[in-house]
Order: sequence, then structure tokens, then C-alpha cells
Amino acid sequence: MHIAVCLCQVPDTASVIDFFEGALDLSRVNGVMNPFDEYALEEAVRIKERFEGSQVTLFCIAPSSAKEMLRKALAMGGDRALLFSTTEPADTFQTAGMLSRAITDYYGEVLPDLVFCGKHSTDFQSAQVPLMLAELLGMESVSAIIKLEASRAGIHVEREIEGGIESLELHYPALFSVEKGLNVPRKTTIKAVMEARKKPIDLLPVTLSESSCVTITSIKPFVREKKCRVVQDPKELVLLLTHAEALF
Amino acid sequence: MNTFLVFLEQREGVVKKSSIDTWNRAQELAALHPGAAVSALLVGPASTRQLDGCPGGNGVIYHANEEAFRLYNPEHYTRLVVETMKRVAATTLFFADTALSRDLAPRLSVRLKASLLTGCAVDDAWGENGGGCCQRPVYSGAAIASFAPCRPLKIYTCTPRASRISSPITSGARASVVVLEPSSSTSEELFPLVRRMAMHEGVRDVAEARIIVAGGRGMGRAGFGLLEALARLLGGAVGASRPVVDEGWRPHAEQIGQTGKTVAPALYLACAISGAPQHLAAIGSAGIVVAINCDPHAPIFDVADYALVGDVHLLLPKLIEEFREFLKKR
Ligand SMILES: Cc1cc2nc3c(=O)[nH]c(=O)nc-3n(C[C@H](O)[C@H](O)[C@H](O)COP(=O)(O)OP(=O)(O)OC[C@H]3O[C@@H](n4cnc5c(N)ncnc54)[C@H](O)[C@@H]3O)c2cc1C
Ligand SMILES: Nc1ncnc2c1ncn2[C@@H]1O[C@H](COP(=O)(O)O)[C@@H](O)[C@H]1O
Repeated sequence: MHIAVCLCQVPDTASVIDFFEGALDLSRVNGVMNPFDEYALEEAVRIKERFEGSQVTLFCIAPSSAKEMLRKALAMGGDRALLFSTTEPADTFQTAGMLSRAITDYYGEVLPDLVFCGKHSTDFQSAQVPLMLAELLGMESVSAIIKLEASRAGIHVEREIEGGIESLELHYPALFSVEKGLNVPRKTTIKAVMEARKKPIDLLPVTLSESSCVTITSIKPFVREKKCRVVQDPKELVLLLTHAEALF
Repeated sequence: MNTFLVFLEQREGVVKKSSIDTWNRAQELAALHPGAAVSALLVGPASTRQLDGCPGGNGVIYHANEEAFRLYNPEHYTRLVVETMKRVAATTLFFADTALSRDLAPRLSVRLKASLLTGCAVDDAWGENGGGCCQRPVYSGAAIASFAPCRPLKIYTCTPRASRISSPITSGARASVVVLEPSSSTSEELFPLVRRMAMHEGVRDVAEARIIVAGGRGMGRAGFGLLEALARLLGGAVGASRPVVDEGWRPHAEQIGQTGKTVAPALYLACAISGAPQHLAAIGSAGIVVAINCDPHAPIFDVADYALVGDVHLLLPKLIEEFREFLKKR
């Protein structure tokens, strides 16, 4: 099976998002693989291990510094990585457009059997790229899956909805965005890290041909205005809460 | 001129409250923008009696009440929305921010060549600077970004407003319901296909609860019994921090945070939760936040309105007792 995984880089959650003279300052931020993409990659690798002769190819649009993150992804079981370097900021639609061209250029006429993405990127939490990409590629798709059963004939997945679960059925080729809970990503071993050094990371150019759909007009620090009032005991708390608003 | 179309989502024949709230908000926006009109599209069999008097304002609610729309089908739904957008010449499509709209909206944005703004707070500033801007927290809640659409057609998935309880518009006007003709394409079997939908009996989803009683690692596995009791008493839902879910004490559906759900309840009660940035990222729009923690320096207190410092295992039984007393007297 041909499996594509789309990976993006996000600030490490431990890094501090700073503002310098009112502007966002990401210079001290450490980039890591989007946590949801780890679940996407793990699922791809598990399927590869089940279906002999499968190939997992990683697609990433990011500055060339993302190589390090891709090395880790290769150590987790990817076979080859394609890094499309761009410094231009793109919105989700442009990202989806670039990914769709990257995927069709790489696979040619025949689409990959499976494409995996993360549910959302943890920095902007757009949750837009995956299904836009599916729509552009003309693939059947489901977002935020928590369970996947693949056979040669087709695929069964489950996704969470408010207060319940939906079970869906679809065919190849298919694209999924994955939710936490689908699997537990493996830890990389020294051996896997060594092997990953031999796997190819191709740096490829990419052009931005779509115009943007959404622009960011400002990013401001979020100032919490809350003042915390320490209450003495549960009695006082209930008194305050029941006086406040029509909560109960 | 602006024409708004509001997508009304039903599950098991009941229109979601979040959808009704979105409709009310669209009505408020229309009132601020003279010449704007609001229509709605209700997809799937559902009782419209529920809508009676609840969503106020003017406009037509188009109801596609075919059986084929009972369960979500991405392709059938996409086609129907595209058709209806054309029919009412809509420029703006509003969804409540739900699992369904997160799945449907990106497809529609490509199909309609529309700007997509997900998870946004659509507030009164929406109409400023050429219109359509909205805000959303980014970088785990460390920053707030404003997004502006560039395309003539716009799609929003709107987050709930916790602090303000939206009141129905009392203009005296009433929306009318038009039942749509069955569409010819729904007989076609289109994939992906939802085969089943299984709802958890008697469990309220954290993403929709007005009151959330959340617990962290400090609760211990057994301590969640207390939280369940309190949630039941207040008609709320139980939520959890990530370690609690990773330990297997609670299901993933209850996780709140960057890798869990984003919530906006009117009351958020955080019990033995330290308040890591990844957790706080998801409760930024909560109304009143109460924190109970034995560590007076826990970061959760920085975002709380009320603090109870002490052991949850001692304080929670008392709190339950006090609430029970209050509710009995009322
Ligand atoms: C990529 C990434 C994503 C993440 N996503 C999420 C997410 O979605 N959601 C999330 O919650 N976390 C997330 N985390 C984890 C997060 O960083 C914290 O580790 C986590 O939120 C801590 O959970 P906690 O507050 O329950 O536990 P702890 O940090 O262990 O805190 C326990 C608290 O309970 C208090 N306590 C202990 N015993 C008692 C008692 N008897 N009475 C009163 N108080 C008591 C302690 O004082 C302490 O403050 C993520 C981390 C990473 C790296
Ligand atoms: N620049 C990118 N390169 C590769 N994949 C991406 C990129 N941006 C987003 N994705 C994929 O789309 C998912 C959701 O991203 P988003 O829609 O931005 O929240 C991510 O988890 C990735 O799988």
C-alpha cells in the first residue's frame, strides 16, 4: 500500500510564546512534530507493517529547519520524507493546495491508497487542511477518527461526536485526520534512529499558486483579567455561586 | 447586502442547542447590519416545534426532513448545503462549532471557494473593518488572533458564548418553516457512509455542558465518584485532565485541553488540576472558574474566579452537601 502522511511543525508546548514590542516573537520557540501527527504517523506505520510491500512517505511544508523533526518521523517508521521548503506564510487553503500538488506530483496518476493527517495543529487549531486536501484530491475522507480497521476491501472507522460515536465505512483511496486515542505512538529506539539516518529526506521547491482565503490581521498577547477570590469554605462558595447568575 | 444561512444540526431528531444559539447570534448580527437577512437550513427529520418561539427574528427555516438525512452523510450534506446557499443567495454560512461542522465545513469551503473561519468567537465586532472578522485563541491560549476572510463567500464555525446567556429576540416576528422537496440524489449510496450512530446513555458531553466538574491527577481514580455525584446533582458533565485519561481513569472523550476538547461552560469547577498551559488553553472562554487545590500556588488559581485551598477529598463532600441543601430549599 502507498501511504502518505502529512506532518507539520508546531512550537514545543514547553516553549514560551513571547511578544516583543507588541509583535509575536517566536525566536525562542523550539519546533516539534505536531502531537496529532504522531498518531497519524503511528497509524500509517502500523498499516505498513500489516500489509507487506507498503511504503510510508512523509510530506511536510515547512522551513528547511524541519529536517530534524522529519528525522524523528523516519525513525518512527517513515520510509522517505519530502520537505517542501517555503518561507512564505500560507493560510490553510494554500497549504492544502500545495500539499495536493506535492502528492499528485509524487504519486503521478494514481493516488496513494491512504493519506493520514493530524486532527489539527496545536498552534492554530484550525482543523482545516486535512479535509480541504481530501476535497482537492477527490478522495473519500473522515475527520478526527479514533478507531480504524483496514482490510483489502475497504475501511471502517469511528469518530467521536458530542455524546456518542459514529461508525463509518469507506473505500480506498481515503484520507483521515486522526484524534488522540487512536493509538499510542511508539518510542524510537537507538537502532531506528541510526537507520533513519540512511533514509532520504528530499528538499523540494514548491510554488504558491492559490490566493489566500483568510488573512491574519493581528496577533495580540492574551491578557487574563481574572482576579481570584479566595473563599473560606464550601458554604461560602455555594453562597457566592448561587448569587452570581442563573447557573442552577 | 448580506444574506446569512445558519446550519441547524439535529441529532436523533433534536435540534442542537448550540445551533439555536448560532441562529440567535445571526439574528443579532442581522439586527446590527441593516439589509441583512437570515435563513436557516435544518437537515434531517426533526421536530420543528422545538424551534417554536425559541429562535426569534425573521427568516425562513428550510427543512430537509428526508430520512436519508437522519445520519450525517458528508457528501449528501455537502450537496444540500451548496444547493441551499445558491437558493437563498447566501453570502455567509454559520455553523455551531461541533464534530459535524468541523467535518463538513472544510469540504464546503473548497466546493464553494469560500473563506473558512473555524472555532471563532463571532461577536459584535464582526461587521467592523469591511466585515467578517473574528477572533480565536492561538498558541495554547497565549495569544488571540484576528482573522479576516478574503473571499466573497464566508463560512464560520462559531464557538459558544459562555458568559452571556443568549435571550431569544423579542421583535415579535416569527420565522417560518418551509419543508424542502425530497432531493433526487439522496437515493444514491455515497461514501463515506455512516453505518451507525451510538449515543452514550445518560452521559452529557463536556463540549456541550453548561456546568463542568473536572478532575485532575490529584483526585485519584476513586475520587471521580465524588465528581460524578456533584455533576449529577448540578446537571453537569465530568471532565478530566490528560494524565487522568492516560491513566485510564476516564475516557478520552472527557479530556479537556490542547489534545482534548475546548470547552466554554458557564461554570468550570477544576478539582485537583494544577493548571498546565495545555489545560488552560481549552478553558479560556469558560464563564466562572472555580479551582480547588491543596497547593495555594497552583497556576490554576491564576485563571480562577474563586479559589478553595485544601484537600479535595475533604472539601468535595462538604461542597456536595451545601449544594444539596441549597437545591432542596429552592
Ligand atoms: C503535547 C502535550 C499536550 C497536552 N495536552 C493536554 C491536554 O489536552 N489536557 C491536559 O489536561 N493536559 C495536557 N497536557 C499535559 C499537561 O502538560 C499537564 O501535565 C497536565 O495538565 C497535568 O494534569 P493535572 O493537573 O491533572 O496533574 P498534575 O499536574 O499532577 O496536578 C495535580 C494537582 O492536584 C493537586 N492535588 C493533589 N492532591 C490533591 C488533593 N488531595 N486535594 C487538592 N489538590 C490536590 C496538586 O496540588 C496539583 O496541582 C499535554 C502535554 C503535552 C506535552
Ligand atoms: N505545512 C504543513 N505541511 C504538512 N502537513 C500539514 C501542514 N499544515 C497542516 N498539515 C496537516 O494538516 C493537519 C491539520 O492542520 P490544521 O488544519 O492546520 O489544523 C496537521 O495535523 C497536518 O497533518
